[in-house]
Amino acid sequence: MPVVEVDPDELRALAGAEDKPDSELKGDLFSLGLEFEGETDDGDFELEFAPDRLDRLSVEGIARSLRYQYGHDRGLYLPETNDAQWAIEVEGSVPEERPYVTGAIVRGLDLDESRLESLIQLQEKLHATMGRGRAKGAIGVHDLAMLKGRRAGDDDHGPATATKTITYRGVEPDGDRFVPLDDDSDRSPAEVLETHPTGETYRDLVDGLDYYPAIYDDVGLFSFPPVINGKRTEVDEGSRDLFVEMTGTDQWTIDRMLSIVCYALDARGGRIEAVEVRYDDRELLRPDLSTDTKRVAHDRIERTLGVDIPGTEVVDLLERAGLDAEPSGGDGSVRPGAAPADGRADPSGLGDDAPDRDAFDDALSYDVEIPSYRVDVLHPADVVDDVGRAYGFNELEPTYPNVSTVGGRHGTSRLEDAARDALVGLGFEDLLNFHMTNEEALFDRMGLAPDDDALGAREPPTITGPYSEAYTVLRTWALPSLLMVLENNTHRSYPQDLAEIGLVAGVDPDEPTGVAEHRSVAGVVARTDASYEDAKAGLQAIARAFDTALSTPPTAHPSFINGRTAEIVLDGESVGVVGELHPNVLVEHDLELPVAAFEFRLDGLR
Amino acid sequence: MKLPETQLALLEAASATDPKTIGALTEEIGEDTAAVTRAAFELAESGLLAVEERVLEDASLTEEGERYRASGLPELRLRAAAVEAGADESSVEMGRLIDRSDLGGPEVDVALSNFARKGYGEIDGGMIALGDAPEYDPEADPEAEALDAVGVGDADAPDDAILDRLETRGLVERTETTVRSVTLTDEGVTALMEGVEATETVGALTPELLTSGEWEEVEFTEYNVEADAETVHGGKEHILRQTANRVKDVLVGMGFREMEGPHADADFWINDCLFMPQDHPARTHWDRFALDVAPMDDLPADLIERVEDVHRNGVTTEGDGYHSPWDEDFARAVALRGHTTSLSMRYLSGHAVGDLEPPERYFSVEKVYRNDTLDPTHLLEFFQIEGWVMAEELSVRDLMGTFTEFYEQFGITDLEFKPHYNPYTEPSFELFGRHPETDELIEIGNSGLFREEVLSPLGVECDVMAWGLALERLLMLMYGFEDIRDVHGTLCDLDLLRNVEVVY
Repeated sequence: MPVVEVDPDELRALAGAEDKPDSELKGDLFSLGLEFEGETDDGDFELEFAPDRLDRLSVEGIARSLRYQYGHDRGLYLPETNDAQWAIEVEGSVPEERPYVTGAIVRGLDLDESRLESLIQLQEKLHATMGRGRAKGAIGVHDLAMLKGRRAGDDDHGPATATKTITYRGVEPDGDRFVPLDDDSDRSPAEVLETHPTGETYRDLVDGLDYYPAIYDDVGLFSFPPVINGKRTEVDEGSRDLFVEMTGTDQWTIDRMLSIVCYALDARGGRIEAVEVRYDDRELLRPDLSTDTKRVAHDRIERTLGVDIPGTEVVDLLERAGLDAEPSGGDGSVRPGAAPADGRADPSGLGDDAPDRDAFDDALSYDVEIPSYRVDVLHPADVVDDVGRAYGFNELEPTYPNVSTVGGRHGTSRLEDAARDALVGLGFEDLLNFHMTNEEALFDRMGLAPDDDALGAREPPTITGPYSEAYTVLRTWALPSLLMVLENNTHRSYPQDLAEIGLVAGVDPDEPTGVAEHRSVAGVVARTDASYEDAKAGLQAIARAFDTALSTPPTAHPSFINGRTAEIVLDGESVGVVGELHPNVLVEHDLELPVAAFEFRLDGLR
Repeated sequence: MKLPETQLALLEAASATDPKTIGALTEEIGEDTAAVTRAAFELAESGLLAVEERVLEDASLTEEGERYRASGLPELRLRAAAVEAGADESSVEMGRLIDRSDLGGPEVDVALSNFARKGYGEIDGGMIALGDAPEYDPEADPEAEALDAVGVGDADAPDDAILDRLETRGLVERTETTVRSVTLTDEGVTALMEGVEATETVGALTPELLTSGEWEEVEFTEYNVEADAETVHGGKEHILRQTANRVKDVLVGMGFREMEGPHADADFWINDCLFMPQDHPARTHWDRFALDVAPMDDLPADLIERVEDVHRNGVTTEGDGYHSPWDEDFARAVALRGHTTSLSMRYLSGHAVGDLEPPERYFSVEKVYRNDTLDPTHLLEFFQIEGWVMAEELSVRDLMGTFTEFYEQFGITDLEFKPHYNPYTEPSFELFGRHPETDELIEIGNSGLFREEVLSPLGVECDVMAWGLALERLLMLMYGFEDIRDVHGTLCDLDLLRNVEVVY
């Protein structure tokens, strides 16, 4: 989950809550779903939250939510947008892997160190979340004063309103050179990927492309998305007007990221100015701050929350969530009526206590207008959630659902439990080991090869690109796990009689998933006088308990001593192996006493 | 007065005037020394007998000492051979003398070193010459005499210095023994005069005693019932299993049926059905364990189509889809499940046990696999408690009521529901509860009402609420463990598992 760092004083100032003590502020944040995780060295709050409300990735966004919560603001807010003076032209050379671009201009900012930091943090957090590590969307913020637009009319782009253009195009890896951020010398894009730390980090995103994405103004290349900006247009505390561009693999995603940034800069007093985005076949005016509308039935709200709420209150709650709601009757019409005395909108005009109040509410629905920064709203249910949050979920009284069902355990889990009880009754310590392990533990250390004809010898399901050498495959048998427990507990008192019932698996193309899974029963008897008899005695007792006929014809298994190894045959079916473990295996596991062992398929006891 | 048999025999054998040793009394009574000694102390305790202790020094021959007593000390045998060979006149070859004196093995070294020590003669360059001590009487060697004396049991006779020497040579062992002698006290005499009867005591209750009826006559020897017995470790069900079973009991009691299904499954069941966009961070290489096996063919084609449609376009006309790529090959890829919600999807879709009609309740307590950083509270494999309720109409309040009921069974009360976000539920809640011991507010689960985008492709037309929780968290709450690695996995500490307190 994302964590943002915010200066609590700045948050107070922006939220209009200068006098809130820290404890109250933390409580208010918690009720918004922002959990206080700790403080940085500078005294900033570290706030963690679920990745739905990405508009809260900056102090400005969090403050906006608090203002709604405190009632300082109500309903939908739409920033004003001035007419476009600048345009982004998209050329055919743009790599098809990164075809989309968007942009906006924000003027009149008064950036200080902390505001700049907040902007950079928002940019980085958006990269990490919606931007999917810059792959899906990458943001570049530039000092507009450093850009020189090409005059419109220089080409054939018709009667454009914007007069200055910059260009989104492709550049050859060894093409035009520029000085990247945090650098002093000019480099080609390919050199940036090789030599610049940021270039190395994001290299995978463009590696292999014939042309790299690049943005040019009249002077030349000033941005190499999604890797790095040029130094020429770097934003500092003196920058007043910003040019924000975003490129990516999905137009909607970068447009919404842009909305979030614009709303944040608007909260800092910036004036948003539109930018034209000119594709070959279409022209877009950005930022797209237009709202979305969801129709939400009143009945759905009451059904989800499990309470009766007057329609008037729903509108109030939605406005407190920063949304606009237009009530309409079941037939789509709205009954006219005077607002209640307390100033809430009353769509029915009936007042809360009117006799046909409920009937009216049942047919009621709301057209809810949702701002563009709310990237989380996909469905009316998401609006219902907003109502619930504004209402306060913890205000609801729990009820036990009034439906009756019959409970029960699954047959496999009952069998497993019964077998475990039997083992425990025989004095075995029941263990629980990981299903993931490595081939060395499964095979080499057991003196076994995967292609042997023996229990445990089979192709293990392998983890693609494992992260740890210790966990590369699923185990094909369980005895290696028990041997490792013995190995790690040689300082503990003997006898050590250990058992485990757990999952083992093997690659099997005949299974729907390609993986055969079953439960295996494994036991070891480690004591100075452990012998085949000890293991066999335990087996006999279990077979008897489950009324299965046990026979143990001699067999050979590389992990066991020849002549002291038998197949476990239950009701005529070969299900496992029992014997004395081979000294090679014992020495490999640093054991200085004999170990008798068995392992068999749990379903053999059925 | 009644006394146990041994005590009575001892009392009768003891004398008021003549102290008798325990050894002597043992022979007289015919019982073993330990029993007689114990009886003597018991009688002393009750004032009938006085026990006096004396420490005696004694010496006895070692095996080697016995041998030399029979064959003569090696140095004496060497000297005798030398005299016989005329070594008092001129030097004689050592080898000849050794053969002649019939010395073998370590005896040779013993003979030569003591020969020199006692000044019998000179040994030089393998030659032996007797010195100027012809008057030395081999028959009167004090060490040989002392050996004889100890041999016949007269350890007091020899000089202490000589005995020390023999002890150094390893021929004699000296011991100290405590000799206890007893005399009757006045009280003892009185008791005897008044008459004492025997009560029989036995050590073990035997089948014979029971069948013969003799048990009625006997008294049982007292044990030291306070002493520790030998440590034994009975088998024990693993505590995480115990906790899992406790959870299962509670859920079955609340009307839930158990689900079962594959650990390795198609991403389709694990994620796509859950309306998790394919570019969701949890679906990247770094979070999941993909398996190197063929993609799963056996997936219902119509369901795939509906799921893809909902990802791309949302449900009906009122919902939106994701602006994320959706690739059927990715849906078919097999991985270890990151949650057992994959089972819920299989059951809700009707592919596990056929179509379900509300109301239903299902659960699972099984392993899931996540590539988390290993630390005291996180393992790559852990148990997830997964549960869901299907009914015609469910509200957030029903969800709260169910969890309040469930967690109360584990002593966790005052639940708080923190609004949360999951791609597959809305509304969603993180559950917080008060730790039963520390009273801390801790996160204990994640829950919500399944979204229409999840239910509609599965063909479910009613409400379903679900929740998940790590079993390990509950275990740590119940047992107060701090490091989960001590109990789960091959690094487990056997002593911890053996000695962990039972929780019920």
